[in-house]
Amino acid sequence: MFPQFGATAETLSKASTMVFRIGTDAHLYDDPDDVSIAPLLDSKFDSEKCEALKRLLALIAQGFDVSNYFPQSTVLTADKVVKNVASQSLEVKKLVYLYLLHYAEKRPNEALLSINCFQKDLGDPNPLVRAWALRTMAGIRLHVVAPLVLVAVGKCARDPSVYVRKCAASALPKVHDLRLEEHTSAIEEIIGMLLNDRSPAVVGAAAAAFASVCPYNLSLVGRNYRKLCEILPDVEEWGQIVLIGILLRYVIARHGLVKESIMFSLQCTESSHSAKDGSDVDFGLVKESTDLSGTCDSEFLNTVSRCYMEGPDEYLSRSSYANRESFELNGAQFTSGKSNDDVKILLFSTSPLLWSNNSAVVLAAAGVHWVMAPKEDVKRIIKPLLYLLRSSNASKYVVLRNTQVFAKAMPSLFAPYFEDFFIFSSESYQIKALKLEILSYIATDSSISSIFKEFQYHKRNDLEDYIRDPDRRFAVDTVAAIGLCVQRLPKMAHICVDGLLALTRQEFMTKDFGFEDQEAGILTQVIMSIKSIIKQDPPSHEKVIIQLVRSLDSVKVPAARAMIIWMVGEYSSLGEIIPRMLTTVLKYLARGFPSEAPETKLQILNTMCKVLEGATGDDLWTFKKIFSYLIELAECDLNYDLRDRARLLKKLPSCNLVSLGLEEGTNDLPENDLHIVAECILGRQTRKVKPESFSYRYYLPGSLSQIVLHAAPGYEPLPKPCSLLLDDLNVAEGTSEMKRAADYSGTDDYGSSSDPSDEESASDYGSQRSVTESSGSDRGDDSEFISEGNDNADPLIQISDIGNASENQNGVSQSSPANLGELMSNRALESWLDEQPGSSNPGLPKQSQVRISSARISVGDVGKRVKQKSYSLLDPASGNGLKVDYSFSSEISSISRLLVCIEVFFKNCSSEIISEITLVDEESNRAFDSADKTAVVNESSLTSSDDVPTLVPMESIVSLEPGQTTRRILQVRFHHHLLPLKLALYSDGKKLPIKLRPDIGYFVKPLPMDVEVFINKESHLPGMFEYARSCTFTDHIVELNKENGDSLLVKDKFLAICESLALKMLSNANLCLVSVDMPIAANLDDASGLRLRFSSEILSSSIPCLITIGVEGKCTDPLNLSIKVNCEETVFGLNLLNRIANFLVEPVLS
Amino acid sequence: MLQCIFLLSDSGEVMLEKQLTGHSVDRSICDWFWDHVISQGDSFKSQPVIASPTHYLFQVVREGITFLACTQVEMPPLMGIEFLCRVSDVLSDYLGGLNEDVIKDNFVIVYELLDEMIDNGFPLTTEANILREMIAPPNIVSKVLSVVTGNSSNVSDTLPGATGSCIPWRAAEPKYANNEVYVDLVEEMDAVINRDGALVKCEVYGEVRVNSHLSGLPDLTLSFANPSILDDVRFHPCVRFRPWESHQVLSFVPPDGEFKLMSYRIKKLKSTPLYVKPQLTSDAGKCRVNVLVGIRNDPGKTIDSITLEFQLPPCILSADLNSNHGTVNILGNKICSWTIGRIPKDKTPSLSGTLLLETELERLHVFPTFRVGFRIMGVALSGLQIDKLDLKTAPSRLYKGFRALTRAGEFEVRS
Repeated sequence: MFPQFGATAETLSKASTMVFRIGTDAHLYDDPDDVSIAPLLDSKFDSEKCEALKRLLALIAQGFDVSNYFPQSTVLTADKVVKNVASQSLEVKKLVYLYLLHYAEKRPNEALLSINCFQKDLGDPNPLVRAWALRTMAGIRLHVVAPLVLVAVGKCARDPSVYVRKCAASALPKVHDLRLEEHTSAIEEIIGMLLNDRSPAVVGAAAAAFASVCPYNLSLVGRNYRKLCEILPDVEEWGQIVLIGILLRYVIARHGLVKESIMFSLQCTESSHSAKDGSDVDFGLVKESTDLSGTCDSEFLNTVSRCYMEGPDEYLSRSSYANRESFELNGAQFTSGKSNDDVKILLFSTSPLLWSNNSAVVLAAAGVHWVMAPKEDVKRIIKPLLYLLRSSNASKYVVLRNTQVFAKAMPSLFAPYFEDFFIFSSESYQIKALKLEILSYIATDSSISSIFKEFQYHKRNDLEDYIRDPDRRFAVDTVAAIGLCVQRLPKMAHICVDGLLALTRQEFMTKDFGFEDQEAGILTQVIMSIKSIIKQDPPSHEKVIIQLVRSLDSVKVPAARAMIIWMVGEYSSLGEIIPRMLTTVLKYLARGFPSEAPETKLQILNTMCKVLEGATGDDLWTFKKIFSYLIELAECDLNYDLRDRARLLKKLPSCNLVSLGLEEGTNDLPENDLHIVAECILGRQTRKVKPESFSYRYYLPGSLSQIVLHAAPGYEPLPKPCSLLLDDLNVAEGTSEMKRAADYSGTDDYGSSSDPSDEESASDYGSQRSVTESSGSDRGDDSEFISEGNDNADPLIQISDIGNASENQNGVSQSSPANLGELMSNRALESWLDEQPGSSNPGLPKQSQVRISSARISVGDVGKRVKQKSYSLLDPASGNGLKVDYSFSSEISSISRLLVCIEVFFKNCSSEIISEITLVDEESNRAFDSADKTAVVNESSLTSSDDVPTLVPMESIVSLEPGQTTRRILQVRFHHHLLPLKLALYSDGKKLPIKLRPDIGYFVKPLPMDVEVFINKESHLPGMFEYARSCTFTDHIVELNKENGDSLLVKDKFLAICESLALKMLSNANLCLVSVDMPIAANLDDASGLRLRFSSEILSSSIPCLITIGVEGKCTDPLNLSIKVNCEETVFGLNLLNRIANFLVEPVLS
Repeated sequence: MLQCIFLLSDSGEVMLEKQLTGHSVDRSICDWFWDHVISQGDSFKSQPVIASPTHYLFQVVREGITFLACTQVEMPPLMGIEFLCRVSDVLSDYLGGLNEDVIKDNFVIVYELLDEMIDNGFPLTTEANILREMIAPPNIVSKVLSVVTGNSSNVSDTLPGATGSCIPWRAAEPKYANNEVYVDLVEEMDAVINRDGALVKCEVYGEVRVNSHLSGLPDLTLSFANPSILDDVRFHPCVRFRPWESHQVLSFVPPDGEFKLMSYRIKKLKSTPLYVKPQLTSDAGKCRVNVLVGIRNDPGKTIDSITLEFQLPPCILSADLNSNHGTVNILGNKICSWTIGRIPKDKTPSLSGTLLLETELERLHVFPTFRVGFRIMGVALSGLQIDKLDLKTAPSRLYKGFRALTRAGEFEVRS
């Protein structure tokens, strides 16, 4: 079975291998365990460490679990790598990485320890080190580090080295694979950026990332479709394969199918069938090309294209409900390949790829042409496809499987190349069978004779030697293929039948030495093929039947005999000669009856009846005698089927005969019934069985599903034509268009009339500045001024109301000058803040300054509009009528800075009083001793690295009347930014588990500061402490529309944007708005340049966290925001950044 | 995306496993695979895409080593297969051939190579030139060196410059004292001759192999005297498509060292250089064999290494075959091989003898197919001719060399 198995042992004697093995790692593979690995790992020599790692690798290769070395090898070695990167060889690093990746998932905690090392490596000057670090880090697959990895990827995506950028692209699917929903948009953003890269190598990797991360986000492609098409020939081969598929999907989603393509011709043939009117004018071109390319199986093509469009499963399930027309493609979903540039450029850029060295690229390019190219151009894929048949056996098979569908759909394309499908003796059965099938599809009148010669040869050839399974099947297939060919080309029937008859004669030679399976099968198949040919046109094949009947004596295979006998019965009244032969034949059969196989016996009986049915005159008597003889024999046969059949038949024709004998034409009712029964039993087969009912599944060319014939997970049919609307694209193209718009600043939507006001407002910023600045020291004046301005709804006054009457408590904190906050230490500030527990929005210090291009203003009146979002903790259904909601409060805990205040609302929705409601920490079932004790203990216990979640015990609610709502402030310590906290709610003595989800936006507290201080701090937090993301923002549109409606005085749009943005920020996170920069140079409608700064500090560590939001885009359109967070604590900053990006994107709640 | 790659030896042992994504694939898939190979035999082995209960498998078998890749999701199957082929090419290039021992001996290098070649299931760096710069191939010198010095690092610590350039196949700026470029035409002739001696099909598959040692960034142009006879072509990624489309000229910046510039096919050739006339007659439990081999069309150069092979039918008990020139061997698996070498001037080589059939057989009803091998140095049988090779920005001295070679591909004579 494995010829090479012996060979390797023989050819390479041990001695000679020993010589070759010197200096290799052979001894390590053979005996990885012969030295203890642990001390080697700890060695201070690189070479010893290396050896230890190699031994580990050998163990991995052999399938042993060596994860127990994990901490030692990774941590120790990795640490050492960190300590002396310069001296350490890269090989050690590489080996550690290999090992680490293999076990990272099993040992997450240890893997986590190596993260620091990667972060250092990411800053290495050697691009190879950076790339390796990124690849390994991304491969670790831990949720905890995902944000870090994402930052690393984002950084590497901007790396100067192409190789690093490429690795960044391939790291994205790894991050995405962790299924962190909150990062999806960030990942897609990076993909979009990489798709736009200058280097083709990066684009290829980005395409792969796109295909696995966000294949539906075709608008990303739309942005730079043309560029992608142009760069396609330069992309690496693997990237080309994926990119071709993406571009195809995009074009179909954007423009629909091509009118001149194969996919369309069938639609039109269908419609022209249904309505034979003026469609000829419209589709004249298509018709022409159909004629040009000769016959093509339009029904088949229809099936194929529908399968491409909607997937075979949907298509088949629908068609079984006789509802085929529901998925009708209308004309609007088609585009002209001649006039559509996008289609043309795709075809243009993929056609040279048909010359690629990589067979996968060729097949992918061929697939695009198959679907998109005008019919007359499809033929250019034929030669490259056929050329692929010369590549390795494995790819040959795949190519043939795809070619099979092409050839079946458009036989005319392949017909001239039939010679390429001739078979070599060295090929495997699968390949031979496929070639054979294709040959039988593409045979034409001109080529059939040579194809037929081939067939004959192969059949003979393969009969030749092998009792082996495959080749017997192949010979049978060949004979079947001949039958198929003739069905397609009736003209050739005579030649083929002659050939087949010759075969039967050859087979007779072989029958002498016993029936071997193979030959029996072939003979049966030969007769079957002849039978199917005769069926098409029985009268012209009379002689063939006679010849077959004559050969009955030599044909010994029961199945084949039975078939010939069936033909005798079937065509017993055909022509002149057969009826005359009948008597002899039947006599012969009757004589041999006892020695026949049951199968043949049954068929003889049937035939006899059929003959009897049609017999008249003299023969009738003879037939009746033969019949009764046969019946008698059959009735005592060993086979019960045969006995039953005999009894049945005896009954049937006897009635028939009796009536015939007495008087013709008396049609009694029972007799009539019997006739019907007889018809049913012996009647001609009228039902046509479709030969390939199972293979109605077609998948896109080049897909895995097409090979395995079921939809593999992740298989997607082509997108709906024209499903990608222009609007979708425009949103996506927003940024680029925005830039264009900025270039033509004069030609905006507002026209010239708005320009003066624009300038005016710009200058007024300047004047405003002086006012605010002067009023900076006097708050009261300022607020008065502002409120006045607000009342007048003067668009020129940008500064909003700060000192709103309803915000008294705010006023206190606002009154503190920002400088003061700077002077005080954090600790002092905190204690100071504690004195005003009620302050919900401290610190909205006003700043206004003018720089050259922007004005700085403050926005004040947002504070009162800030609504904290409320989340449901317990719904009445599961809480016995108790409804518990919570919202994060901006209050600062008075007990510890590690605690977050949460406002909890208890509402009794039931009709009974609920008593004894209290919330406790589920995990530590500590009794809620006393608030004092906790308060004392807390400070120490909380700051220690105690991992137990903590909840400051809540004042329990004694009873809650129906309909009553009570509010409590809960102080909770979340240990983790992301994981929910498990709590238990006791009510009426029952325990209900609940989960409190943390919101990182409230893990910070406002840190009021000056703009200068802000900028100063920001400059101290560069590089790896700075993370940025972008997102879109739409809230202001609603706002603007609303205002457009109710007042003619157009409120300043910037202000509206600022307000809605600040509002959104402040209602979702506990921040302090530091300043707002306004653009002044740009026109009124362009909000680009608007910048908001927020400051905060992390509750637990008092580390400042600075947030800057830059705005870009037109006022009336969705804005592109770039969010930047500067924070020393990387993980926290990242999580906060993601949180901000997420809530900004959320649509506004109405 | 590929999830895992296994290298299996021909006895079914898993020599190497390389997990590519976080979703690791258990080794038991190999047991499943091997069970099926054993139960279904070769027909399973020759199936390149297999749907197992848990994974889709791609297999490529080279030199007795099975490269098995697993995936769970839709991906172009040819991509997986091509990649495995590429891996096996690179490995055999690195290790100087493929067999079980050589892979085990160099498993570290195999791991390192695989790690560079594929990342997260998607091919990363597959260009052999760049891989050579990243990971040094094991050669005698480095082996000896490693034994002597004990330093065995074969991982380069700098990133090959080519990874970043827009011509990723070329190492950055090599320097040579002698600038040389050699162009070889290597052709394989496929032919099928039927029982009547008629040529059913005859075509040539050729490759243009270039071995370039040029300093700097050379830009070469290669043109043919008769490009119109080319039926179909495939190019190395370095070939620019547009000049070929417009003028049928190959314009390219070559990789350093040896590579396959293009491959082509020329169909419908009219004659073969050799004729092979087998005559088999069979009766009375015997089969008489007589095969003549001679030159049909003299290509002008000597025809070398002529061999003839055929599979003896299984129903043969014994064979007695002799030839008047060359040697006849009957190999273990019932393949008869006749090594002729060159055709002598004075006589026509012939093979004759009798085959004894199994006892109950009266006569042989199917005859074997003969496979012919030959080699002709100095001639491209297709008639393709290289017109000229130009180098833009020519260095001071450039040596150009041209060669041609034709050998038999699938050359079958049926009887």
